[in-house]
Amino acid sequence: MIYVKLPRENFTAFFESLKNYGKVYGPVKISESYGFKEVSNVAQLSLEYPRTMIPPKKFFVKPKERIFEFDEEKMEYRETVENTEIVIFGIHPCDINAIKLIDRVYINEMPDKYYQKRRENALLIGVSCHPDEYCFCKSTGTSYATDGFDLFLHEINDGYLVRVATEKGHKVITQNKHLIREVEARDMEDFKENERKRLTEFKLELNISGLQDMLELSHDRAIWREYADKCFGCGTCNLVCPTCRCYDVVDCVNLDLKTGERKRKWDSCMLRKHGLVAGGLNFRPTRVERLRNRFNCKGSLREDMMNCVGCGRCTVYCPADIRYVEVLQKVRGEIK
Amino acid sequence: MEKPRIGIFSLTGCGGDQLMILNLEDELLDLLSHFDIKSFQEASSYEETTTELDIAFVEGSVSTKTDLERLKEIRNRCKLLIALGDCAIDGCVQAMRNQQMTIAEKMRKVYGVEEDYYDVLEPKGLAAHVKVDIKIPGCPIEKTEVLHAIISLLHGDMPEAIDYPVCVECKLNEYPCVIIEKDMPCLGPITTAGCDARCPGLGLDCIGCRGPIKDEANAAEELNLLSEKGFDFEYIANRLRFFGGNFEEIVKLTGSLKKKIGEGGQTDE
Repeated sequence: MIYVKLPRENFTAFFESLKNYGKVYGPVKISESYGFKEVSNVAQLSLEYPRTMIPPKKFFVKPKERIFEFDEEKMEYRETVENTEIVIFGIHPCDINAIKLIDRVYINEMPDKYYQKRRENALLIGVSCHPDEYCFCKSTGTSYATDGFDLFLHEINDGYLVRVATEKGHKVITQNKHLIREVEARDMEDFKENERKRLTEFKLELNISGLQDMLELSHDRAIWREYADKCFGCGTCNLVCPTCRCYDVVDCVNLDLKTGERKRKWDSCMLRKHGLVAGGLNFRPTRVERLRNRFNCKGSLREDMMNCVGCGRCTVYCPADIRYVEVLQKVRGEIK
Repeated sequence: MEKPRIGIFSLTGCGGDQLMILNLEDELLDLLSHFDIKSFQEASSYEETTTELDIAFVEGSVSTKTDLERLKEIRNRCKLLIALGDCAIDGCVQAMRNQQMTIAEKMRKVYGVEEDYYDVLEPKGLAAHVKVDIKIPGCPIEKTEVLHAIISLLHGDMPEAIDYPVCVECKLNEYPCVIIEKDMPCLGPITTAGCDARCPGLGLDCIGCRGPIKDEANAAEELNLLSEKGFDFEYIANRLRFFGGNFEEIVKLTGSLKKKIGEGGQTDE
């Protein structure tokens, strides 16, 4: 890791320079929430944002997309290849860790070329944050991003301490060296002090020790029924989750009945058809089964990482006010 | 290959679903050229009343004895029956006072007399009387949805039925949630999607015009949600019944609410 300093007075110029690396997206206020949108100047950014409603996974696993066009008569298909370079500025550690997790699935385990291409074409710049009452990333071990980004900006008194994690990030720093300073002892102290302080700011805690066993041993607990009665089965929790990555595929034929396109869009395991397979069998026909499955999935491990990064979105945006941490506390018997 | 013979019919309703087919202006001629049209009331006065049909599209609710006779007659001569729009699926707005008022009371309220001039039946969807093969929801239907459904059939597939709520489309489009952010009485969580969340996308709350999701919509929680936001039971009951008057869970729920309202309005229970 290389550490450099971006003085506050150079921030705007640095941000402007990012346009050389692609279309720049950053957190912007939309209505009462936030979302990653294309930004043309620093004034549009809301860097103090708690979380966006839709996580930055949307740049890599698209909410809806065409994957190829086909011609049934000619037996041909043409893939939709996108080759746009983008810069995502201002990602929080939880979301960086979530992208790392999806990388494991769509790059390492089941390579998805659309995903891979978009990841290659993106420059990820993280920014430090402060938790609100819904954040519990400290509990899930994802409050700090050790890697998975190109640059990470930690706010210090008179600017940012920048961690440079990749060659790509290093290139940006070298090409902007007139804006960059060396890190001094005071900056390191600031950085350490801020990180220490930040860890004391968390209000919400989730005990994840042995969570997988607790979930497995709670399969028949009445609490699932209780929450399933409240749950709308609307899929919001999945769709705003930075680690959920299920999608649904449909073919759309044109009126000529020969040509068409194959499309995919985000799916949700809370929706009835998620468990529906050929022949009409649904292996999770009821809401209670779907809800329990979702909590089991989030609590399960991928390598050593939980499928939850503690961002709080599923709680904030649940129309039925189902609180993720509270559910798991009930599962453990910590609260009644 | 012989072209499939189709008929497009109206029972009680505004005729808006047939109109949506006609609104497919750019595709209409290509689309219709795939078919031998035996009846299309809103487009042409030409009609063959006894021909066997491959597909019958029926819009409107069964609200009179005449409707019912016509529906049975259509069912008898078609292979595939498509309920087109909310009226044909579950009665839509005509059904909002079902089981709350007798026909005589309705006649008195609307026409000032109790005499039933129209042989009225309590408004129901087609499936309450005959077998329905495919349902295309909406008030009115989405023209792209009916287009894709017809293309699927021509291609030899069954059309994809949407059975997830509007919330999904809000998230896919990154529309701010009007429930969470604005405390609006949005029916999105229980309403069949397929509109691409048109209203929430404009900052408006969903009024449920595509109907509650059959066997899935959690109307009881919608009631909790809206009452927690400060809306009174009568308002919520009316809102749920607007497009869901024949929806079993809503009938039960609003039946018990009516009692509560009758007993002196809101209770804390």
